[in-house]
Amino acid sequence: MSLSLPMAIVNVGLALLLSPLLEGIMRKLRARIHSRIGPPVLQPYYDLLKLLGKEDLRAADPWLGLAPILALASTLTASLLIPLGGEAPLGGAGDLLVFLYFVGISAVAVIFMGMLSWSPYGFLGSSREMMLYLTVEPVLFVALITAAVHARSLRLYDLVLWNHAMGPQISTVIAAIAFLVVLQAQLGRLPFDIAEAETEIMGGPSIEIGGPRLALFRWSVEAKLLVFTALFVEVFVPWPKTFQLLPDLGLTLGKVLLIVVIVAGIDAVNPRLRIDQALVFFFGVTMVSLAGLALALVGS
Amino acid sequence: MTIAELQAQLTERFGEDLTRMEERAPGKLSLTVQPKVVRALAAYLFTEIDCRYVVSAGLDRREGSQEFAVVHFFARDPERIAIDVNVFLDGGNPQVDSITPVVPAANWAEREFAELLGITPLGHPDPRKLVLADDWPTGMHPLRKDFPHDLRPEPVEGVAFEPKEPPPGATVVPIGPYFPVLKEPAYFRLFVEGEQVVGCDYRGFYVHRGIEKLGDSVLTYNQIPFLAERICGICGFVHSTCYCEATEEAAGIEVPPRARYIRTIMLELERIHSHLLWLGIAGHILGFDTILMQAWRIREPVMWLCEQISGSRKNYGMNLVGGVRRDIPPELHPKIEEVLARVEQEARAIVGVVAGDTPLVMRLKGVGPLSREDAIRLCVVGPTARGSGVDLDARRDHPCAAYREVPPKVIVREEGDALARTLVRLEELLESIALVRTALAQLPPGPLMATCDGAIRAGLEGSCFVEAPRGEDFHYVLTGEGNRPLRWRVRAPSYPNLQAIPTMIQGQMVADVPIALGSIDPCFSCTERLETVDVHTGAVLVYGQEELLRMTREGGRCR
Amino acid sequence: MLRSKLKEVWICLKAGRVTLPYPLGPAPALPEGFRGKVEVDAEACIGCGACANACPSRLICIGDQGYRRTLDFHLERCTYCARCAEVCPEGAVFLTPEFELATGSREDLHIRVEVYMATCRRCGRCYRPASPLDHLMVTGMRDGEGK
Repeated sequence: MSLSLPMAIVNVGLALLLSPLLEGIMRKLRARIHSRIGPPVLQPYYDLLKLLGKEDLRAADPWLGLAPILALASTLTASLLIPLGGEAPLGGAGDLLVFLYFVGISAVAVIFMGMLSWSPYGFLGSSREMMLYLTVEPVLFVALITAAVHARSLRLYDLVLWNHAMGPQISTVIAAIAFLVVLQAQLGRLPFDIAEAETEIMGGPSIEIGGPRLALFRWSVEAKLLVFTALFVEVFVPWPKTFQLLPDLGLTLGKVLLIVVIVAGIDAVNPRLRIDQALVFFFGVTMVSLAGLALALVGS
Repeated sequence: MTIAELQAQLTERFGEDLTRMEERAPGKLSLTVQPKVVRALAAYLFTEIDCRYVVSAGLDRREGSQEFAVVHFFARDPERIAIDVNVFLDGGNPQVDSITPVVPAANWAEREFAELLGITPLGHPDPRKLVLADDWPTGMHPLRKDFPHDLRPEPVEGVAFEPKEPPPGATVVPIGPYFPVLKEPAYFRLFVEGEQVVGCDYRGFYVHRGIEKLGDSVLTYNQIPFLAERICGICGFVHSTCYCEATEEAAGIEVPPRARYIRTIMLELERIHSHLLWLGIAGHILGFDTILMQAWRIREPVMWLCEQISGSRKNYGMNLVGGVRRDIPPELHPKIEEVLARVEQEARAIVGVVAGDTPLVMRLKGVGPLSREDAIRLCVVGPTARGSGVDLDARRDHPCAAYREVPPKVIVREEGDALARTLVRLEELLESIALVRTALAQLPPGPLMATCDGAIRAGLEGSCFVEAPRGEDFHYVLTGEGNRPLRWRVRAPSYPNLQAIPTMIQGQMVADVPIALGSIDPCFSCTERLETVDVHTGAVLVYGQEELLRMTREGGRCR
Repeated sequence: MLRSKLKEVWICLKAGRVTLPYPLGPAPALPEGFRGKVEVDAEACIGCGACANACPSRLICIGDQGYRRTLDFHLERCTYCARCAEVCPEGAVFLTPEFELATGSREDLHIRVEVYMATCRRCGRCYRPASPLDHLMVTGMRDGEGK
């Protein structure tokens, strides 16, 4: 494992400081589809600053206050495992599994937040988050493992190198498509923003969180934008690659922007699905991704 | 059957208990019966003659004849007949047999006159408070004539709403009083097992504004249309037209044809913008904000047009008893046509994409089902009824304004779910555009206002049915002294439709409840409270404001 | 479904941006006949009280002190129905297109009109003199000897 401190700062810095900009771009695009002007692109920064300055209404339950901190911390740690333009700062053997675990910790933090809120809306939100997590994570796992099978390694950067060298295979294309499909759910966007459904359950897990802790929770959601899309473009769309840090970083961020635009577009033209409808859909996606894995195991 | 046949059948059946029967206006049969047969008569009308129940009104007539009265309104839609059943009650201790056991749709109307007038419905299955606040003192009945309109009694300490208890094993999910989906406060107490709804309780009337009281105590005939148009935040013209036509029927005023056509045009314009508004709201409930923004963008030219015609986007203020105040001059006709053409083109495009939008259809199909039998039993109206296969439209069945000359096509679908109601509204929208064009083309010349000689006599009755975007609106006016009505009863279309909600959401998933509620296009007006249910002990606690503030500061854990 | 979605995006993008930056930009043009704030031409008012009789919000209060009639318009209650303007026989009450009326103090929305009337010699109540000359004498515009 090689820890490159400057790269670590870059990764976490981008996850923290660039992701609100991505959120702002998504909101602007959504507004454009709504035929309205929309908030300024820097609005998420202003929102976070405002929330951080508000009164921190302490809940009686200390674990409730810890959950948003845990959500952000685990997402930022996961960002340290992503190769961005080069080797990941904390990358090492098996970092694919470590990444999935940190993503899992983030989901568990959100679930705790809803459960500990003692609100029926929080309970509903948490139960939906649990169901979604259990159906969406396996696809993520299978998609990454499909690439790992080819690369014969569980190190994310090895996956990147293998894909770059060998080009798209049928199985990796299937894995990429599956990953893209569950990306909407991972990022909590329509049609799969079921856990936070505003008009149905008043915000779900985050209902009892306010002020600075809400800022941290929102920030963790925004950071996931960068983390997941960056992972996707690095592993599954690694071309072109110059093997020099700054140009590669720029290319990655450009591709991230493109994916973010697509996610925003899909978010704007879809209603929210019901949890059972979403589960049925993701079951189908899981089957498809398993087919991809099977193909990878037989060599294509 | 004709009115004559109906009269013959009633005489035969109820004989000397029927003390008065007359056709007070064309198609309006008014009966007075002895209190002891009122339930039997209601059962006869509802089950054997297949009349639809409309509403009941309590009246305080003690100034005149020392009596209270209750009127039950029914309708035979195929023959365009309306039936009023009057019962006179003792002035000291007014009681009447409740008709709710035989006509379930009368549930709320009877609770209303019980609370507001103190007339007890004997045998009512659920005599809880409905309209007034829970801390309103008992024994004070606001609609009685001896109750001043601006009296505010001291609130009673220590009382709380008694909600229904959940069945064993179920938890409570409250929808309201404050909830993103509800534009006005209402409280739906859902009993759920997991994500499935197994029962519900409803508490509404949070901002009961006392409009009927204002109408019969401080306002005059020509001031009331301006109050009536503020009953609803979207379809105000419906209420002012309905009131004016009811008063015109009572006083025998004949409205000039041009005024009737103008009323029809404004009613249909209102229907167009209301249905587009509803489409946006339905989209918003489903998280599909794009439909909200686009439907409201398409609707905007109609609002500007109404502002050009009437001077205001929503409260047109065009109705007075006897006609309309503002004309639609020929200079405006090309503008109207231009707006209609634009709206029609965009509406057709939206209708096309909605039908093909799979996730949207998935969220609407099979949601909030209401069978045809239930729709008839609960006497629902409007697109809620037409989406369940009930062929019911007040424009055709009880035409007002110029609907006899400009009859609409009635759109009915059989499926009975939210998707059916959506499609009914979208097709009605297109039909309304055609109706405005027809009415505009046929607009006759002439005066806008009837001339009225002298004051309106007291003791005359009038009623009117108008098809609002949400369903049938009904107003009843009993004229009184002092240039104002003695009683003005309003029944908005959401009144029966809301009573059908528990049936519609039974067995549905929690996620579908907001859109099921939205699909009836509810228009309620309401106020606040917070309640919690301890799932483990079943204890119910009600919190006041100071306590709530303290608790939010202290921590999220409620007792 | 894909076709529907693409058509939706096309409809949305074709519509462009329709929201106006008001109040950071100018207000859109109002139609003629727009019902905004009530104004009263105090000189034209004859104190008949028709507006007070017609107003559905009952916001016009009439008080008499000797021969001075005061009409108080409490326009915070106004619903802009224009009945007052419609029934005024002198055209003294009219509605303007002004709609930006939000204010922190109610007095900004109060109009007070004082009209000098003649008083009945027997009962003392105000009435409007039948003759314009009498009216001028009562309001002090003309000498009592009729010159």
